[in-house]
Amino acid sequence: MALPAGMTVVTDAGYAKLVASQKGKVVLVNFWATYCVPCRVEMPALVKLQQKYGPKGFVLMTISADEPEDEAKALQFLSTVKVPAPHYVRKTDNEDTFIRAVDAKWSGALPLSLVYDKTGKKAKIMVGEADLPALDALIQKLLM
Amino acid sequence: MLPAASPVTLLEPGGRKHIVSLTNQVTVVVFVSALCPISNEHVDRMIGLYGEFSPRGVGFVFVNSNVNETDAEVREHAVAAGFPFPVYRDVHNRLADRLKASVTPEAFLLDRSGSVRYQGAMDDARNPARVKISHLKEGIEALLSGRPVARPTAKATGCTIKRERKAS
Repeated sequence: MALPAGMTVVTDAGYAKLVASQKGKVVLVNFWATYCVPCRVEMPALVKLQQKYGPKGFVLMTISADEPEDEAKALQFLSTVKVPAPHYVRKTDNEDTFIRAVDAKWSGALPLSLVYDKTGKKAKIMVGEADLPALDALIQKLLM
Repeated sequence: MLPAASPVTLLEPGGRKHIVSLTNQVTVVVFVSALCPISNEHVDRMIGLYGEFSPRGVGFVFVNSNVNETDAEVREHAVAAGFPFPVYRDVHNRLADRLKASVTPEAFLLDRSGSVRYQGAMDDARNPARVKISHLKEGIEALLSGRPVARPTAKATGCTIKRERKAS
């Protein structure tokens, strides 16, 4: 099944490189999926964070954990909610390997939000719906 | 935290307490959700494993530990899914906390001493047509044969278990 135009693949080895490519910025990586209701509920709030802090050096990266047959639906949701591109989707032959590449302690539960500081160091992991006020405060602090 | 070997009190769908022993035999514990699409995509596999291994003496405990799912939802889902087994409610997330379960579906394979020999996904793929490794089935077969479980963990994406908010 062909990847929908507008989606970019992230592999096990590619994840670390993707995060490293944003050194100098504060990064929020959000793992989500179309089947995940809390993921869809919180996405607009994450977009608002991008709008608020993007000009100050913050970047939101969304990575879909959808299966190939749901990628078009994922892209449609991202477009509807106006999530800024690029739109990533994880591709792996071994989901366990991918999950551990993101974080050794992550169980695989969605949604997952990871915040990286300007040096690329992991500053916070939030499993489940993000604590938005805490996230906002952390981003502000890391941008200083 | 209670040791893995201690019995656990769950609630039957009718609300009656049910004390489950985790040490009598090889036991499979599966955390499920009535609302999680990923958990629901594994319904046939859950029924299949139960049908195959329950007659061989493996104990199965299917548990719903989600505080956002009502008893009625859990009961109705079990009927609609055609489960030939009960789905217990995990009061105050006690069993989920003890086993450190965090996602649905998530399977635990316990040996006769109540020690966890496998934790993780039932298979290596969400779509049954793409499954190459049936982690849970392989683990069960290994324990029944007296062999070690080759892969003690295998993670997969799924829905968070919705827990009670604990007082800080």
